[in-house]
Amino acid sequence: MAGIQWVNILISIGFLTAVGIALTLLLVIAEKRILNYGDCEIDINNGKKKLTVRGGSSLLSTLSDNGIFIPSACGGRGTCAYCKVSVLAGGGMLGPIERPSLTDDEIARGVRLSCQVKVRSDVAISIPDEIFSVRRFRATVVHKKPLTHDILELRLRLVEPPVIDFTAGQYIQLESREYRGREAVNRAYSMSSIPSDAGHVELIIRRVPEGICTTWIFDILQEGEEISLSGPYGEFRLTDTQAPAIFIAGGSGMAPIWAMLRRMREIKDPRPAWYFFGALTQRDLFFVEELRKLEGELGNFTFIPALSNEPPDTPWEGERGLITDVVRRRVPDLPGREAYLCGSPGMIDACVKTLVDLGVAREHIYFDKFA
Amino acid sequence: MSNGTAKLFLKDVWNDNPVFRQVLGICSALAVTNLLSNTLFMCAGVTAVTALSSLTVSLLRNVTPKRIRMIVQVLIIASYVMMVDIVIRAMAPDIHRFIGPYVGLIITNCIIMGRAEGFASQNRPLPSLVDGFASGIGYSMILITIALVREPMGFGTILGVPLPAREQWWHQWTIMVMPPGAFFTLALVTWFARNRLEKTMKAGGK
Amino acid sequence: MEQFTSSIVLSILLIFASAAFTDNILLARFLGMCSVIGVSNRVNTSLGLGAAVIFVTVVTTAMNYAVYYYMLVPLGLEYLRLITFIVMIAAVTQLIEMIIERLSEGLYYSLGIFLPLITVNCAILGLSLFMLNKPYGFIQTLAFGGGGGFGWFLAIVLISGIREKIDEKRLPPGLAGPGITLIIIGIMALAFVGFSGMIKI
Repeated sequence: MAGIQWVNILISIGFLTAVGIALTLLLVIAEKRILNYGDCEIDINNGKKKLTVRGGSSLLSTLSDNGIFIPSACGGRGTCAYCKVSVLAGGGMLGPIERPSLTDDEIARGVRLSCQVKVRSDVAISIPDEIFSVRRFRATVVHKKPLTHDILELRLRLVEPPVIDFTAGQYIQLESREYRGREAVNRAYSMSSIPSDAGHVELIIRRVPEGICTTWIFDILQEGEEISLSGPYGEFRLTDTQAPAIFIAGGSGMAPIWAMLRRMREIKDPRPAWYFFGALTQRDLFFVEELRKLEGELGNFTFIPALSNEPPDTPWEGERGLITDVVRRRVPDLPGREAYLCGSPGMIDACVKTLVDLGVAREHIYFDKFA
Repeated sequence: MSNGTAKLFLKDVWNDNPVFRQVLGICSALAVTNLLSNTLFMCAGVTAVTALSSLTVSLLRNVTPKRIRMIVQVLIIASYVMMVDIVIRAMAPDIHRFIGPYVGLIITNCIIMGRAEGFASQNRPLPSLVDGFASGIGYSMILITIALVREPMGFGTILGVPLPAREQWWHQWTIMVMPPGAFFTLALVTWFARNRLEKTMKAGGK
Repeated sequence: MEQFTSSIVLSILLIFASAAFTDNILLARFLGMCSVIGVSNRVNTSLGLGAAVIFVTVVTTAMNYAVYYYMLVPLGLEYLRLITFIVMIAAVTQLIEMIIERLSEGLYYSLGIFLPLITVNCAILGLSLFMLNKPYGFIQTLAFGGGGGFGWFLAIVLISGIREKIDEKRLPPGLAGPGITLIIIGIMALAFVGFSGMIKI
């Protein structure tokens, strides 16, 4: 095409830009005028805490802006259902995005997804007391240590605030950063460090193929880089009963168990314990030396690694087969047993069934399910 | 690679056919199918725009900020549609006179936006190109089928060529020239195709 | 003078009626169907969506008319009409989204994804493009946009009314959903053909 007129192209671009800017301004002004909900009051736990906030945002982000951190893993899309809050008044209509994640009983009690509830008027909510002690931390990466071909240990040093107060078994929420066109996300990981190491947080993380956060952790995050997280969250913890404890976890599910076992060693907890570590093959095992060492250090601890996909002709002396079969074979028949499980929902459901079959009381089985 | 590509192509053309399975892009499916010539130009245009837009969106997917992703997609699609509009106007001005507005409406064709947002924004360029092209072909297949029903019945011609021995046996089905005919034909095509698809899906135990 | 105003009023009414009935954007021009097939199984939702569409069509055809004749043509930028129109429509759609969210939470939730989808509703862009081919002034363009939007509203409400009465479970396999909806639309289009010739514009 002879003689492309540059003037024309410049005018086109100029015109479109002008139109774009004009419309954006219009929409911003309109949003301020139309979606202006004024000041609203949020009453938390019947007057324990009252916040005066500007309406218009989600309950989750409004609370977070005011220092109260409700757990969330999906960034407000309504898919993870971590952010459930009991709304006593002022929550508005139940939205279609929330509906699938709530049971009828929860709805009757006013439980809502706080990422979907918009603050449009005064709201009254009720949250567990632990949430008040959740903080947001800045930390730096001390090391990324590979444990297997797809699992690494991430050790962080807390910068601000410098210490974290938690119990073994709780988890934190890590914030990944935008990279390569993929958005920033929040993901929950159990802490594998012990509470007495209060200035640090350790996590055991497995690479999820195409996963936004794990790809960022494995491939982008560098030692020495700063990272944000919030916590502690969760009710998964050791009981005080000192009843015989059965631990079942594999892969990154070991994190809270590792924290619990090392805590037991620290306080010389005398309860008998068994840890069933399920993995596919030998190369998926880690911390084997440390766990064997624990057998000597803890009064009555047995470490039982079980491989489900190990070829039959290798010199593996330990257990083989599905974790549920190994549990069935080796679990001790003692009264008052308690079980602590951590893993995928499928694995947990299968183990719960097995344990109940073997006579473990359902209310003594504790677990941390992660998707 | 080629096996995966072939599977992707087939999937888009039949299993996930944008028209009868996902019910997208039917607006133009009905307007232009009164004559096969109109249809062919429209299909070529839509296939070209879908393929090129998917390719471009995929190439740019890592550098597009999340907030303006949709706007960028619309701009890319609009640019390609503008080009196709100019090409059709140059190649076949008579046809362009009729389908002109509908060519502009390719921008709002849900198929293209759907593929860009649903596939190309998260996949590599070559699969995205195949996906866009295949969706366009799937769309074209349905449109050409409908046109092959409507034009012979409505005008007694195919591509303007009168059917053999037309005077003896052909009666004009006026309804086929008009909008209702298009709706009914598409309804039948959709019914037939979905029926076949459901049967194969049930048999395959999906 | 009286004859002048009455002929203006008459022409406005005729333009409105032709856009709504004889040249119905959905039943005669095939535009705006995706949302119809998706939303039209509940009358209440259709009423809300139809009303929103009327708002968008009136505002966008008017704004696009002004932008086209007072900005694009003087600058010689007619070829930018597609991009400009679609950007306008996107902005107005966002505006109506905000308004609905403020006024009626229930409607906002039941419309869900179909609200932002108004932007890619072919009917709206189509009306703006058809408007360019007509020799209308500004007021008449308003009538054209309003009539077009109203025609779409009418069509989707009528179709959803019929669909609500149909027990889809008794249909042969493969016909439920889009299949039967298209047949209903076809029958309605047939009925609306009866309007043709009524108004010669």
